[in-house]
Parts: sequence; C-alpha cells; structure tokens
Amino acid sequence: MSRGRKKRILIAKPGLDGHDRGVKVVARALRNAGMEVIYAGLHQTPLQIVSAAIDEDVDAIGLSILSGAHNTIFPKIMSFLKDRGASDILVFGGGTIPKKDLENLKSLGIGEIFTTGTDTRAIIDYLNTTLER
Amino acid sequence: MSRLFDKNAIEDIDREKDQWQKEIYQPAEGEEKVFETLSGIPVEPLYTPAHTAGMDYLNDLGFPGQEPYVRGVYPTMYRGRTWTLRQLAGFGPAEETNKRYKFLLKEGATGINGVFDYPTLRGFDSTDPFARADAGRGGVAIDTIEDMRILFEGIPIDKISTSLVTCQPICNISVQSMYFASAEMRNVPLDKLTGTSQNDFLMETVITVAPELLPPRFSFKLSCDAIEYCTKHVPRWNPISFAGYNYRESGCSAAQEVAFVIANATACSEELILRGLEVDSFAPRLSFFLSAHNDFFEEIAKYRAARRIWFHIMKERFGAKDPRSLRLRFHVQTAGVALTAQQPLNNISRAAYHALSAVLGGAQSVHIDGYDEALCTPTELSSLTALRTNQILQLETRATNTIDPLGGSYFVETLTNKVEEETLRLLDEIDGMGGIVKAAATGWIHKEISNSAYEYQQAIESGKMPIVGVNCYQMEEEELPVDLFQVPETLQIQEQKLKRIKNERNGSHVREALDAVARCCEQDGNLMEVIVESVKSRVTQGEISQTLKGSYGTWEPPLF
Repeated sequence: MSRGRKKRILIAKPGLDGHDRGVKVVARALRNAGMEVIYAGLHQTPLQIVSAAIDEDVDAIGLSILSGAHNTIFPKIMSFLKDRGASDILVFGGGTIPKKDLENLKSLGIGEIFTTGTDTRAIIDYLNTTLER
Repeated sequence: MSRLFDKNAIEDIDREKDQWQKEIYQPAEGEEKVFETLSGIPVEPLYTPAHTAGMDYLNDLGFPGQEPYVRGVYPTMYRGRTWTLRQLAGFGPAEETNKRYKFLLKEGATGINGVFDYPTLRGFDSTDPFARADAGRGGVAIDTIEDMRILFEGIPIDKISTSLVTCQPICNISVQSMYFASAEMRNVPLDKLTGTSQNDFLMETVITVAPELLPPRFSFKLSCDAIEYCTKHVPRWNPISFAGYNYRESGCSAAQEVAFVIANATACSEELILRGLEVDSFAPRLSFFLSAHNDFFEEIAKYRAARRIWFHIMKERFGAKDPRSLRLRFHVQTAGVALTAQQPLNNISRAAYHALSAVLGGAQSVHIDGYDEALCTPTELSSLTALRTNQILQLETRATNTIDPLGGSYFVETLTNKVEEETLRLLDEIDGMGGIVKAAATGWIHKEISNSAYEYQQAIESGKMPIVGVNCYQMEEEELPVDLFQVPETLQIQEQKLKRIKNERNGSHVREALDAVARCCEQDGNLMEVIVESVKSRVTQGEISQTLKGSYGTWEPPLF
C-alpha cells in the first residue's frame, strides 16, 4: 500500500453467533490507533463481506468467529476473494479458535489468527508491520 | 426506629478510626495503588460502624422472607432448601443433548438448563443460508416440535423444572410454544409444568443481535405476550428471566447489570398492567438471571441491593401486595467472560469463587461454568467437574449454615448501599428517556455497554487489572491439558428431518397455521395463544419468524 494513506480495515462478524463484545473492542482499538475502520457489523455472509471489502477498497479484512464455525466460513471468504481477483487483501481473524486448527487456516492464506486473551496492541502491531511491507 | 448504633459510640469510633488511619495505618511509600471495585466504586482501607450508622435495621435490612428482603427472599433460605443445581447444556441435534441431560440428572443435577443453538435463538431454521455454518453450535438445534419431543424424551417434565434458555423473544415465542404443545401431546397438563424461559427483548435488540431483527417494540411485545399467556395458562412457569448475566458478559458494570434488568422488569410490568392484568397476577413469576463476576464482595452487595430496589419498586410504584411479587428471585451463572483460554484449569478456582459469592448473596439456583468454556463447548468431564464444584460448595463448605452470613458486615452493607445508589441513578436516567424500550431503540444502551467493555479491555492491557495467565504469570509454549469438545454433525441430520417433515405434513394446515399468525399480528392479539396451536401442524421455527418479520418489518441496530 502507498505510504501516507491511512490503513483501511474492514471488520466483520460472519455467521449467527452474536457475541460481539470482542469484535467491537478490536474495531475501536484499531480506530484509536489511527486506522480507518469500516465495521460491517454482525452476521454478514461471506459473499457480503467480500463485496464490501472490494467496494470499500480495504487493505485488510478482520473476522471474528466465536461459534466454532471458522473451518466453514474462512475457506469461503478466501475462495470468494480469489474468484473476485482480490487475493491481495490481507485476511486476519480472531475468536474461540483451537490451536490445532491454526495451521490449516494459515495454509488457506489467512495472515494471522488471534485467539482468546490476545492484547489489542498485538493486533495493531501485526497490521502495522504486515501492511507496511 | 432501629438505628444500628448509639450516636455517642459512633462519635468515639469515628474519632479513634481517624487517629488509626493517620498514625497507625501506613500505606507503602511511593506506591499509588488505587483500591476500587471492579465497577469502579472506591474502597476504603477499613470499614467501621460509622459507615453504617445511618442505617435503620428494620427498614433497611429486616429479616429473611420479610420486607425489604435484603437478607434473603425466603425465611429459611438454604437451611430449608438449598439452591438448585442447574447446569447449562445443549449442543448438536436434540438426540445428542437429550443424552447429556440424562447424564447430568443421573449425576445429581436437580434441574434442566437447556441452551439453544445460534440459528434457533435468532429465529432461523438450521437450513437457512444465514444459519447453516452455525447449526448445532452454542446449543441444541430446534426446527420443529419433533425436535422438542426428542429433546425431552424420557425426562419427567411434570416432576423436574426446566429452564429454556430462549434468550430472544423471537426464539421464545416459537420454542416455548413447542415445549408447551409437546407437553400437552404427552398428556402433561400445562398447570403441572414448572420452569423458566429467558424471553428478554434486550437480548434480541442489544446484546446478541441477528440479521433481520424485529424492531425493539415488537420484540418487547412478543416477550409480554409470553408472560401474559403463562399468567393465564401455565401458572407455575416463570415466563421471563431478565438476563442481566448476558448484559454483564457483553460489558456492563455491576450497577448497569442491575439497573437494566430492573428497568426491563418495570417496563414489562407497566405493559401487562395496561393490558388489564393485576400486578399480583404476574409479578410473582418474574425472575432474574445475574452474573457472578470477579469482584467477590461487590457481587454479594449487588444481589442484596437488587433485592432492596425491586422490593421498593414493586411495593411503591406498582402497589403490589402479594409478598411473592416483592421478592427478587434469581439464578446465577458464573462469569464466562472472566474465564481464560490460557491455563484453563485455573478456571475451576475462578468459577468456585464466583459461585461462593452467589451463594453468600442468596441465589436461588446456580450454574458453574466449565473450565474449558473459553475454548469450546464444555466436554462431559468439564461439565461434571462444574457440577461437583457446586456440590462441594453445597455439602462441604458449610456456607449454608446461617442465612445472609455477611449481613451486618460494615463493608458489605456499605457496598450494598453504594451499588443501590448507582443503580437508582441509572434507573432515573432511563426513566427520563422514556423507559428501557426507548433507551434500546435510540442506541443508548448499546453505547453504554460498548464503552464499559472497552474500558475493561483497556484495564487488562494496561495491567491495571491483573488476570493470571493473561497479563501476569503467563507461560510460554503452554501445552493444553484439556481435550476440546467436538460438536456432533448437526446440519445433515436437521436437513434430513426437515425434508421428511415438509413431505409428511399437511400443506393446507401449515398455510392456515401461518395465516393465523399473520392475522394475529394484524389484530394485535396475543401471539403465543396462536403459536402454541400452530406448532402442532409442524410449521418450522423459521417459518413462524419469517411471518412475524413480514408483519412487523425489520430493524438495523445501531453500531458502536
């Protein structure tokens, strides 16, 4: 991404799980760290999320999943991004995701998964470092 | 007048205490430690009779089972009957959850506490495009009355009390109707049923929102329809459980938790009275659901304050006369948000402290969280350990020997007064906005909760709030000592069931049933009266929800 432009991050919570305390805290923390956050709210379908990310020309998509549906939802997002030729958008995520699933999710091209108990500063540092490359 | 202390004695104590604080009590040099409760109430180094000197024993505390019920809602409390061991359970298809219920009952649970999956809670069938990835997750999947029949097969629902965690009114209006209708089909009369449903409109419009939400006032209407229905037909059922627990989980402080449940209960009472019901016909069955969080004494104070506030509102604002209307009865769940994914076995100790505060605060029933809940749905082992923790508390600690053992503690009484004060301030603010339904519709509550949640996270990240294993005493490369629960295959099973049911059922009966629901919306009738009949023709929960949304429209909640 070009230097000087604010990082644009789409934050979304796909699926029907309504536990949105974490995703709202992360959205606010990124905003306070100077990023432009588009909070797509809850319950977007994978296709809606990908369309919104492309329309909003974001640098990254952050997804929160606490229901255990990550192994279904993340692959869908990645394949829709590929179909739309938007694989350059960084995808990261967080939530109640067991360690044993991390390797598989990362092999799909997901940049990072932040599990329960993560400090928001770790997410900010990760985005600052990764998106500056 | 029954002042706690003699005026001269108080003056002496106050003088001596000042001297003690100046000359004897020496805080560590240079250390600017802040002492406050989890919700930010300042805490002094020592409490003495002077702090409670303004209290009047008979008016402000009284006796258990008597006004103002601060010391307990029942005369004998746990000496008569201990709290119900009500462990939450639900996952996958009904067949699997039925087995878990039977397991918990066999191991000594004394009530059922059934939780539903995300699609069921939000009013969708398992096969809905919004729902498919979440079928069977977070609870048990219920699409039609057949699932409800399977869920309680072989369980004596006329003898055991059942809590249905139907959080959202859009879920409750169908799922509770299915429970009642299937009881009728088992020849269990409705007046024999005991239990509780959650049915809280704030859950639908603020706490865990869904796509295509009903506008707050219609969600509130559904909630009141269920209360009215139960008042008339299911007299031993608690038709609502104001879900302060969940408000707290999403970020509220202790006082916000109490203020929001009481404002909600006040609004329901006003609505039911407008519908022509006597306050004493429904108020005895309003029940509450509160959290037990990390601040041990603040939680105890919270339960005691909530009882006093509810008593005054019921008596003075609504003129209730039946003592049962004046008692705030509550179920407690230990705080899930306080559990950590790191070093998960530590959660056994955390939840035990949480539960002890609930019991010292006079809870009517207690669920203790599984140690693995920050990681997955509880396994059989973690559920069993939680149940045993509850039994140890009940049988070994002797915390149950006397009633309200912390009553009269200078600190606990002062804290009770402080929580009460802050709660009353919030209740005034909500009243000024025109009540809780408006406060939800304008997004005020969303914002309050969101702000508190952010502050909490900041407190953890700054290290101001130590959490063992998270921001102190962390362990590198920790090996997880627990097995993770795998949700059994659900979507395929529900898909097959729905396909078969849709083939078997009588199409014209289904259309008539759904037309009756739509007509009832138009005529502003009581929807539960209609839906209890509708579900018998095996209409699905999703079909009923879609009909309601067709009539009432949908609402986009404010985002903060």
